[in-house]
Amino acid sequence: MTTTSRYHSIKINKKKCIGCIHCMKGCPTRAIRIRNGKAVIQYQKCIDCGECLRLCPYDAVEPITTLQADLKRFAYKVAIPSPVLYSQFGTQTTPAEILHVLQHMGFDHVYDEARMCEMVSTAIEIYLDGHKTTRPIISSTCPVVVRLIQRLFPSLRKLIIPIEPPREMAAKNLRREISQRHKIAPEDIGIIHITPCAAKMVSINRPLSMKRSYLDGAISIHDIYNEIMMRIKKTNRSLLLDTERPVSGIGIGWTMSGGEIRGMKYHNTISVSGVLDTIRILEDVEAGKLKDIEYLECLICPEGCIGGPLTVENRFIAQSTINRLKRVYGEKKTVDVRTVHRLFKEKFFSFEHSIEPKPFPGLDADRAEAIKMLNMKENIMKKLPGKDCGACGAPDCATLAEDIALGVANLNDCVFCKGDRHDK
Amino acid sequence: MASQKDTFQQKFKIKGGDFIKAGESSCEIRNILKGIGIDAEIIRRVAIAAYEAEMNVVMYAQHGTIHFTVNPQEIGIIVEDRGQGIVDIERAMQPGYSTATEEMREMGFGAGMGLPNIKKNSDTFTITSKVGKGTKLEIVIKLNNTK
Ligand SMILES: Nc1ncnc2c1ncn2[C@@H]1O[C@H](COP(=O)(O)OP(=O)(O)O)[C@@H](O)[C@H]1O
Ligand code: SF4
Ligand code: SF4
Ligand SMILES: [Mg+2]
Repeated sequence: MTTTSRYHSIKINKKKCIGCIHCMKGCPTRAIRIRNGKAVIQYQKCIDCGECLRLCPYDAVEPITTLQADLKRFAYKVAIPSPVLYSQFGTQTTPAEILHVLQHMGFDHVYDEARMCEMVSTAIEIYLDGHKTTRPIISSTCPVVVRLIQRLFPSLRKLIIPIEPPREMAAKNLRREISQRHKIAPEDIGIIHITPCAAKMVSINRPLSMKRSYLDGAISIHDIYNEIMMRIKKTNRSLLLDTERPVSGIGIGWTMSGGEIRGMKYHNTISVSGVLDTIRILEDVEAGKLKDIEYLECLICPEGCIGGPLTVENRFIAQSTINRLKRVYGEKKTVDVRTVHRLFKEKFFSFEHSIEPKPFPGLDADRAEAIKMLNMKENIMKKLPGKDCGACGAPDCATLAEDIALGVANLNDCVFCKGDRHDK
Repeated sequence: MASQKDTFQQKFKIKGGDFIKAGESSCEIRNILKGIGIDAEIIRRVAIAAYEAEMNVVMYAQHGTIHFTVNPQEIGIIVEDRGQGIVDIERAMQPGYSTATEEMREMGFGAGMGLPNIKKNSDTFTITSKVGKGTKLEIVIKLNNTK
């Protein structure tokens, strides 16, 4: 592993990788190359979107997430499952059942994140009403979107709402509460998120707006799916009715595309999902086109977190399950708005510090040199066939041209240019 | 003055009335600048200037070109079009002044802030126009003061 891969959430398993070009072609930031017949991730360009993970037909792109065994070192273990989990086991399984089953899987406490989602949703509205001049304000929920902005659209970083997402706020609150109630040192409490994506590992290991994440790790939904399913099948459902807690559909639906804006009846909003559409809308924001939109929700995964790469259920079925739950639980707010106002004033939800810009490195640190390289790249492009076949190990001709200009690839890598040479 | 060798240049064609492709050239310009590591704040200014200039050709001219250059000292954007031209430049430069049609306004254009915003975001800005012939904008954004 290279030094930078430590801070990323995916890696290539060289034993499984056959060097086909699926992941390389699908990477939105062109961070993958094929070298010596294997995919190699250039981590300085990776935004942890998980596209490569979705695309690999051989399971050779592996997520790096927390294992349940990693929690042994904690005296008290807490799970905060993403509400996405409620969509994974069919329409007949209730959130209460899933929470109940989790409680018996080695956790001392299981918290329903939907409640915090509702609180954060209210906090966002308070923020929007107090900041009427900056537009559009962009959601901070998806760690990939935040990093995409930091790296590809650094001028937009001040538009990111400086409010931490529900998973972090839930962990912050629980650590405080549990430590007081059970007289346990905060560092002996292990709080993990149950996650639909590996990207959360990056926001936990390298947070951008706080010194230290409130979470200790994230367990993949994929990894614990089977065990939950088996236990659900064995549970006596009649026992569960009284464990139902008052949550509303607003919180349960939060992780679905459109979930964050659903509660906002009086604001102009847009919700976008999927990595390419997110890049497109951010380009529009950069061009100054979305000035009349107050809140822009962007989620990197198709249809939102329910389409996360570590989910199991088909995302459209998951969507239907969540929609059903929303009908059952209703869309009336269940949080105490005054409490949220008080917490907001105390800066409970606020970023600790602003997000630093961290644009991708240009062709060269020296501007004159970078311009020269760009001209070189253009000249090399003229020699390449423009077929974007990927056989050279770069995702397209433009990227190969760039790699040649940078001195890390060769014109001979192009199978068509090679052919030319033989002809002559 | 920068020599030919350390200047990168590219020409873009713009078609009047083509709202489908509108904005693509300025998007490409931004990506080029990101690729050579230009400061985000400069890119933001270029983005606004290039987009507004491009949109004015789309809205008020038959066709035009953007001639984009970047050298270590500055970014140049020359936008030239064949079209109706501007009768009263001073008036066109006034914030809020617009001759956009009702349809254009419904599409969200025509706030009359394009030319003033181009000027605000450029270090030097000149505009010349011949009625019935066309309009030419010369925009320079300097690089040396930041980064
Ligand atoms: N390239 C152009 N050709 C002809 N007329 C133009 C051109 N650019 C601007 N104008 C005129 O100047 C006015 C002001 O332009 P601008 O400040 O961009 O505002 P807007 O485009 O919102 O009307 C336009 O309404 C139009 O009458
Ligand atoms: S996670 Fe996304 S950005 Fe990173 S290598 Fe995979 S596809 Fe590319
Ligand atoms: S959309 Fe949700 S699941 Fe997908 S990367 Fe972002 S936070 Fe993770
Ligand atoms: Mg205009």
